[in-house]
Amino acid sequence: MLHDAWLIARKDLKLEIRSRVALNQVVPFALLVLVLFAFALDPDRGLLEKATPGLYWIAVLFSGLLAMQRSFAVEAADGVTDALRLSGLAPEGIFLGKTLSVAVQLLVLEVLLGVGVAVLYGTSITGWLLLLATIVVATAAISTAGTLFGVVAAGLRVRETLLPLLLLPVLAPVLIGSTRAFEAALSGTPSEGWPWVGLMSVFAAVYVVAGIFGFGPLMEES
Amino acid sequence: MTTETAGPLGASDSGPTSTGSRTTLILGIVTLFALGVLVLFGLILSPAEENQSDAVRIMYVHVPSATLSYVGCFLTAIGSAVFLWRKSRWWDLVAYASAEVAALFTAFTLVTGMLWGRPTWGVFWVWDARLTSEAMLMLLLLGYLAVRGIAADYEVRAKRAAIVGLLLVPNVFIVRQSVQWWRTLHQTPTLSLSGAEIQGLMLFSLFTGFIAITLSFIWMVIHRFRVAWLEEQVDAEGLDTAIADRRAEGVVS
Amino acid sequence: MSNSLILAEATGTWPYVAAAWAVVFGGMGAYAFATVVRGRRLSKKVSPEKRRWS
Repeated sequence: MLHDAWLIARKDLKLEIRSRVALNQVVPFALLVLVLFAFALDPDRGLLEKATPGLYWIAVLFSGLLAMQRSFAVEAADGVTDALRLSGLAPEGIFLGKTLSVAVQLLVLEVLLGVGVAVLYGTSITGWLLLLATIVVATAAISTAGTLFGVVAAGLRVRETLLPLLLLPVLAPVLIGSTRAFEAALSGTPSEGWPWVGLMSVFAAVYVVAGIFGFGPLMEES
Repeated sequence: MTTETAGPLGASDSGPTSTGSRTTLILGIVTLFALGVLVLFGLILSPAEENQSDAVRIMYVHVPSATLSYVGCFLTAIGSAVFLWRKSRWWDLVAYASAEVAALFTAFTLVTGMLWGRPTWGVFWVWDARLTSEAMLMLLLLGYLAVRGIAADYEVRAKRAAIVGLLLVPNVFIVRQSVQWWRTLHQTPTLSLSGAEIQGLMLFSLFTGFIAITLSFIWMVIHRFRVAWLEEQVDAEGLDTAIADRRAEGVVS
Repeated sequence: MSNSLILAEATGTWPYVAAAWAVVFGGMGAYAFATVVRGRRLSKKVSPEKRRWS
């Protein structure tokens, strides 16, 4: 199962590196969102710095959504889904592999966006440990839920509109949690942030279990 | 009142041409009676409350609606689980019917909550923990219903919907927990009866509200289930005739 | 608190109470009605022996 996961993740990431869609389109989009926030909330009023945690995670969610849409678009095209199903790989392995590749792409996005907010919004970064823990746990939560709902929406004509509708309400606790944790870290009160890291860990754990059990039936005849 | 609740009465002639049956007819009559009792006690006989004055009367429909929106959500999750486990179409349709009715009751909860908030807090919406979780529940249910609405084979649609439906319960729990933590930092008033002295006729009115609204819920889920079941049959027959037509064409050409 | 003040407050909240109850009762009635109408329309297309309730 873990071997299968590794295979799938490597295949997806290789595909992303070769096609450069993530690099040429998703990353610029993420930076664009940061700039748009600056246009919307006048940079001189200090709102940007104050709102950094929220803006950062909204940017992650929106640009991450694009990456997840792609993760299943590449499968649905050319009937690769059938090939995957017939490949004999364990469905749980496929789920974990897809999750891993989405998580890696999200992490890259998050690092770039982090540099982006530090430079563009002038946010001073403190509380490294909590920030890193939040990023790791939130990434796990977003990528597990994103992969599961991604396959629910995969191959449908309405997938582009269905995935955000399904996923964003579900990810609301992650947005609340990661934003609060970032706020706690940046304001120098990390102890307030750790319960949120705990909540997001529970979320990620629920979705790992749901994905492992749910992917089998979903792959069967979707 | 009679025009508003024409539905249950409309099902009265339970011939072979409707979703009504003897059981649902009796249930419908009992429901109508309970709704009448609710109006009598909730709007006329029960007194106004000291702090909320007459706004407390909104609670008699608001609290039961909120409870049933969660009950419907649980029913959907149970239906989805049994469907995935046993491949039972019956349970799949139970999940569908209760999700739709739950969405209706969630809408009632939100609207009545806002109508309660305006005279009590002075605004329609506050980011109160319960109100916010209810709004999130609405969005989750709309997501589920969107999956039910996709144009795809029955198997594909039911399976995907079941996964989403099964996850409704953990999602609702996590959302509630996070919203609660998020809001307790700010200490906003909560839409509840805790501040009010609920006793005597007021308590009885709330109790009647629970009974009447629960009966309505059951009646609606049964009928919605039957509509969904009939839709299935029509779809299946439509498919059969389509296949037959296609075959006939094939023979001709 | 004087009686007139209580009365003023009471009349102030009644429209909200009426609106809330109208939404719930009207909504349930409309949904029930729509469901029954849909059911009747669909029943015509399904042969009686396939219906499992009587």
